[in-house]
Amino acid sequence: MKFWKSFVVMAMALTLILGGCSSSKSNGEAKDGGKVTVTFWDNHIDAEQKYLKDLVNEYNKSQDKVKVVYKGFNANDYMTTKLPVAFANNEGPDVFMISPGDFTKYANAGIMADLNPYFPDGAKADFQEAAINAVTIDNKVLALPFESELVGLYYNKKMLADAGVEVPKTWDELQAAAKKLTTDKVSGIVLPQEKDAYLNFIWYPFLWQQGGNVISEDGKKSNFNSPEVVKALDFWGSFFQKGYAPAKTPFGSSDIGNLGTGKTAMQVSGTWAISAIESKYSNMDIGLAPLPVSEGGQAKTVAGGWKLAANAHGKHVKEASDFIMWAFAEDPSRPLKWATEVKFAYPARNSVIEAGEEIYNKGLRKVFTDEMYDTLTPEPFYGPEIVDVVGDSLQKVMFSKAKGSDVVKEADQKIQDALDKQ
Amino acid sequence: MGTKRKIPLSIFAIICGIFMILPIYFLVIGSFKMPNDVFELEVNFSHLTFDNFRAAFETPIIRSIWNSLLVSTVVTVVALIFHAMSGYALARLEFPGKTFVFGWMISTLMVPFTVIMIPLYMVTKNLGMANSYLGLIIPMIFNAYGIFLFRQFYRDFPKELEEAAYMEGLSIAGAFFRIVLPLSKPIIIPLTIGFFTANWNNYLWPLIINQNEKLWVVQVALANVIGAEHETQWTLVLAAALVCALPMFILFFIMQKYLVEGVKMTGIK
Amino acid sequence: MKRRGNRKKRIEALTAYGFLLPNLVGLTVFVFVPMVYAFYVSLNDWNLLTPKVFIGFDNYIQMSHDKDWWQAVGRTFKFTIIYVPSLFCLSLFFAAVCNSLSQRVENVTRTLFLLPFAITSVISAAIWMFLYDPKDGIINQFLNLVGIDAQQFLGSTSQAMISIIVVVIWINLGYNMMIFLASMKEIPGEFYEAAKIDGATGWKAFQHITFPLLRETSVFILVVTTIGSFQVFDQIMVMTKGGPANSTQVGVLYIYHQAFEVLNMGYASALSVVLFLIIFILSLVQLRLTAKKD
Repeated sequence: MKFWKSFVVMAMALTLILGGCSSSKSNGEAKDGGKVTVTFWDNHIDAEQKYLKDLVNEYNKSQDKVKVVYKGFNANDYMTTKLPVAFANNEGPDVFMISPGDFTKYANAGIMADLNPYFPDGAKADFQEAAINAVTIDNKVLALPFESELVGLYYNKKMLADAGVEVPKTWDELQAAAKKLTTDKVSGIVLPQEKDAYLNFIWYPFLWQQGGNVISEDGKKSNFNSPEVVKALDFWGSFFQKGYAPAKTPFGSSDIGNLGTGKTAMQVSGTWAISAIESKYSNMDIGLAPLPVSEGGQAKTVAGGWKLAANAHGKHVKEASDFIMWAFAEDPSRPLKWATEVKFAYPARNSVIEAGEEIYNKGLRKVFTDEMYDTLTPEPFYGPEIVDVVGDSLQKVMFSKAKGSDVVKEADQKIQDALDKQ
Repeated sequence: MGTKRKIPLSIFAIICGIFMILPIYFLVIGSFKMPNDVFELEVNFSHLTFDNFRAAFETPIIRSIWNSLLVSTVVTVVALIFHAMSGYALARLEFPGKTFVFGWMISTLMVPFTVIMIPLYMVTKNLGMANSYLGLIIPMIFNAYGIFLFRQFYRDFPKELEEAAYMEGLSIAGAFFRIVLPLSKPIIIPLTIGFFTANWNNYLWPLIINQNEKLWVVQVALANVIGAEHETQWTLVLAAALVCALPMFILFFIMQKYLVEGVKMTGIK
Repeated sequence: MKRRGNRKKRIEALTAYGFLLPNLVGLTVFVFVPMVYAFYVSLNDWNLLTPKVFIGFDNYIQMSHDKDWWQAVGRTFKFTIIYVPSLFCLSLFFAAVCNSLSQRVENVTRTLFLLPFAITSVISAAIWMFLYDPKDGIINQFLNLVGIDAQQFLGSTSQAMISIIVVVIWINLGYNMMIFLASMKEIPGEFYEAAKIDGATGWKAFQHITFPLLRETSVFILVVTTIGSFQVFDQIMVMTKGGPANSTQVGVLYIYHQAFEVLNMGYASALSVVLFLIIFILSLVQLRLTAKKD
């Protein structure tokens, strides 16, 4: 019986505590001393989150009309569950970070407000044309780009030297190098393995190098059933089919830890890897080169990066857009700090890059700046069905021993169907 | 069975048990490693560190443990009482519509949570429970798992006990609460472990229903440690995960004491 | 006399509904209403971001020729057919082993078996990814010792599913064993003493006394594990995301993919209505087959 008494007492005590706690509700919509409250949702953590929080605090202090309330959620569930559930219930935040992979879904749904009217005078011209074009649909700028993350080939200098391998510049050289560098303990090259937007993201430049693309320029026709796609698929798949690229890595496939801890000799990764290389893996001698180019092709890399958007259905579109502009379209020191101190990426504004010239020429960054920056193409924003079909095709050449020519026909049809539906 | 035959069996059981916790060994040892060694098999003892735990204590995990304790305890206690009552009614009492009620309840187990998540969110919000402890607790109390297990348990329960209680003039409810429920410990203990663990490890619902950082539960806090886009600090994640699991380990050790003997039969004598 | 009997019956029925009331209300509000709503959503085209458009049964028609979906359902069945009997037999076996150990050894064994259950599935899945690593995971190192080539495990279309099943069994074995053990302890010692006189010990005693008396628990474990196997999600999401080449994309994963990655909530709801019906029928069959023949 004693067991039961303590059980019941505990339950009662807790119920009392609950009653006390549940009354303290907090609601983001409430007005605070006549101020307008703008909610801002974000997916960053650690130093990046701290920077954005500081930014919000600074903004709140700089004026007395608007109060921005920041909420951070972790990267995995932010885009897939947290944000859709909020919008499904008409509770979407006023300002939110959006990943390139989800841009089209939100654009088609009309969720993002047109930012055009809110650019400060002359600010729009400071942005790189390609970056602005990528987020412009029907003359509406639906999100503000504030960073470009480029992709290159990182390699372990010592492993390459020991194996007598030159830094690969062409597809054939890359394949030969990967073959030579693969051992029982070390893989030749790490490429993304799982089917997600990141896999497609890394694969696109190999397609573009040959002048190919997934869909036609006007966005109406599928180009998937083309020799360029077949070649890019076969090239990519060969690394997995021949066992040069691991089907699974202990670190995530975009995490430079694979290279940093000596588990692989080469890895395709992005600008984000540089800070980890300099802090965590400084004992490894790591080199960087542009992505190897197909025969007769043109050097290409892809540029990604999150964007900031304002909720078109929110109550405070103007205040939300003003905050976005204040943060990344006005004083260049704010985007510069983000793209140099907090993380390494390229800002979307020419004036910011000029202001940070010194930093962009430091260490491995110089390789990105000198050899890759001019070859960048912004990540294309395809609808989720198309992303899915491209991902499936890649998975088949990677893991089902399929050839590019086996998969492009069916995929081409599916992509065309998806385009016709739009 | 003789003691002699038990020795090989004991050794076999312990060896299997050690195999079971081998992966946990990697969790524990990994949480003491330097970041660059985390995936190395060899353990370099001069390279072990407490830094990961120091860093883990700086995350919101510690603060969130209190929330999780509160949520899990309340859900467990309330659910156990409600589920025992329903399970008993389904097993031992006669009433019209019994088969239907049982089938209906079991069917609620079969819906994938991802699909009812959005309507559940709407219901909970309209009841004014979003962003509060109530929203974290109340919807999690009701599920047919416990009801089903209690029902199965009570179907084997000796009738003599209740008959004796009725003879003494107790009502059905009286007999249940004063005689039957106190003798249900053998099933309550595993269910306590099950409910508590399920709620302790619950992640998606607390993430969705709550925007208030003060009400974070451990798994949401842990996800925040894991969730960088391109980089995972595995040593920190492992240390944080170990801190998260410790209260569960403690609960298991405490509960072991109560699992010792079957209570029901000793109750008859 | 008859009237008093009726009165008693009425009181019994009233008490029963009184006992059921909290759960009837709670399950209605927090599970059944959302279920009905999900069914309603399945009749709509809804991307979560814009208002729903009513389209009748179009989603169901689309599903009927969605190859990916039926393959995913097939994989779910494959998962269930391997997972449920394995977990059932293993937990029953180890419960029986524990039951015949001395109290102290039993306590230690039980605790060891139960510990994996305490760790969040996301973390345990991550630990196993490390163990399964094709290059230097401990399992491959062990296989090398006994002269077997390194395996791809999660990176192989043929091994990934079974590798995941092992992990899910590892997590749940201790808990299910404990439930079996709890009801084994309820079997009075006299039963075994009587059987001993008839010469039934060991396996025979288990076969003729223990197992039949575990009927109610077995039914529970069987039904609940089957339902659970249709909903395994976290571990797959962490370890393979349904890959490689969709080889571990089970039904729930496909539903999640449709709902939150493609934002096809209406279609995802239709899929889950069908998945629900499949589990429902399966459970009904299990309950029928195992019902007491009074």
